[in-house]
Amino acid sequence: MRMDDDSRKFQRDLNAGLVSLVLLGVLAATDEDLYGYDIAKRLQRAHQGEPIFKEGTLYPVLRSLAASGWLSSRIVPSYAGPPRRYYRITDEGRAVLAQRRAVWRDTRDFVDQFTGPSSPTDPTP
Amino acid sequence: MTAEHSLNPHRIDDYLKQLRQALEGADPAMIQDALSDAEEHLRAECAARPTENEETVLRTIAGSYGSPEDVAAAYRETERTVQAALSPTRRPATGTASVADAAATQPGPIRRFFSAWSDTRSWTSLVFMLVTLVTGTFYFTVVVTGISLSLGLAILIIGVPFFVAFIGFTRVLALVEGRLIEGLTGERMPRRAQPTAHGGWLARIGAMLRDPRTWTTLVYQLLMLPIGTLYFSVAITISALGVGLLAGSVVGVLQSVGADLPGGWWTTSDAVTLAVPLSGIEAFLVAATSLVVGVLLLTALLHLARLVGRFHGQLAKRLLVAA
Repeated sequence: MRMDDDSRKFQRDLNAGLVSLVLLGVLAATDEDLYGYDIAKRLQRAHQGEPIFKEGTLYPVLRSLAASGWLSSRIVPSYAGPPRRYYRITDEGRAVLAQRRAVWRDTRDFVDQFTGPSSPTDPTP
Repeated sequence: MTAEHSLNPHRIDDYLKQLRQALEGADPAMIQDALSDAEEHLRAECAARPTENEETVLRTIAGSYGSPEDVAAAYRETERTVQAALSPTRRPATGTASVADAAATQPGPIRRFFSAWSDTRSWTSLVFMLVTLVTGTFYFTVVVTGISLSLGLAILIIGVPFFVAFIGFTRVLALVEGRLIEGLTGERMPRRAQPTAHGGWLARIGAMLRDPRTWTTLVYQLLMLPIGTLYFSVAITISALGVGLLAGSVVGVLQSVGADLPGGWWTTSDAVTLAVPLSGIEAFLVAATSLVVGVLLLTALLHLARLVGRFHGQLAKRLLVAA
């Protein structure tokens, strides 16, 4: 149980910067405008087991990305409930994504040198 | 899970209530945003699984969306970093270098007084004071027209949907006003409209009538006419006086050095005492005095604008946002 708590905390610390990178990546990879729920489901489909990002933590990051001008957004009324906010990446957002992707690749390669690439013998969570 | 609430949310409203509790003490505008995000997501999830009941869906969501505590923590964290990045005036000093810088340039009272000129916030607040005349008149007109038409149409069947539409419109206006206030005075205001209740017409109207915000929003919009008129009058009077004094001092200086001013440049009326041609040192003294008074007045106005901006932000939050 303690182990579990620790990995959860570690995951949260890691996520602080990664959520925005992934969100920019998801929006850059598509031509459509996406809304929060849609994005959350795309992330969920890409990963089995307990989600890496809690869906509730995506929304504040989407807002802050939009406030920085990296995403544009529009509100569309919905039949299912409250109006939805659709997001689209801006040119500035693409530039930021390119920079961050480079930083991330660099970091990942660096970390891998010391922790080693995961081997099939590792116990799977 | 980390959830400390013994009761698991059975309904979306329960979840929202727990989220609101977890966010207690945070900026009301941020709470409103967080609640509308959660509601959008949870309702979309329920709509995507029409065969299961709300309770089952919510139980699985607690794992994927996050417990109210986790979600609240994420909002607080993001808000903190975004606020620090977006507001240049409130940025905390980080690192020793900037602390030393701040100590070295620790402004004296005089410098601090005149720093209002370089503070964007005071200029935008001044703009806010000027536009409130227009927005205030508009809100007042909308509310008075809406209320009278609602009362007038109340006996007809059309009165009910009209009233609902009218209240919905005032909420949109409240959101727009919030955006305007945040843009010009820097006070954090909601980025999402307040969600409307669900259900039939009667349920919606009942919820609207019971929601104190419906009424405080109307009060705010009515109040904006007198308040806006006051802000506008104060801003325009002081700025006109200040600019007039500055312009007068320029004329005075030109006169004191014996420049030949074209007639009618300042005034052609003999009745205005300052227009009586002064010469040399006298004109210079008058010019210097009006320059000083003009600059002081305008600086004071900029400070006043900032104060008004802060005060108005609080007022708007009290009436338009607070639950």
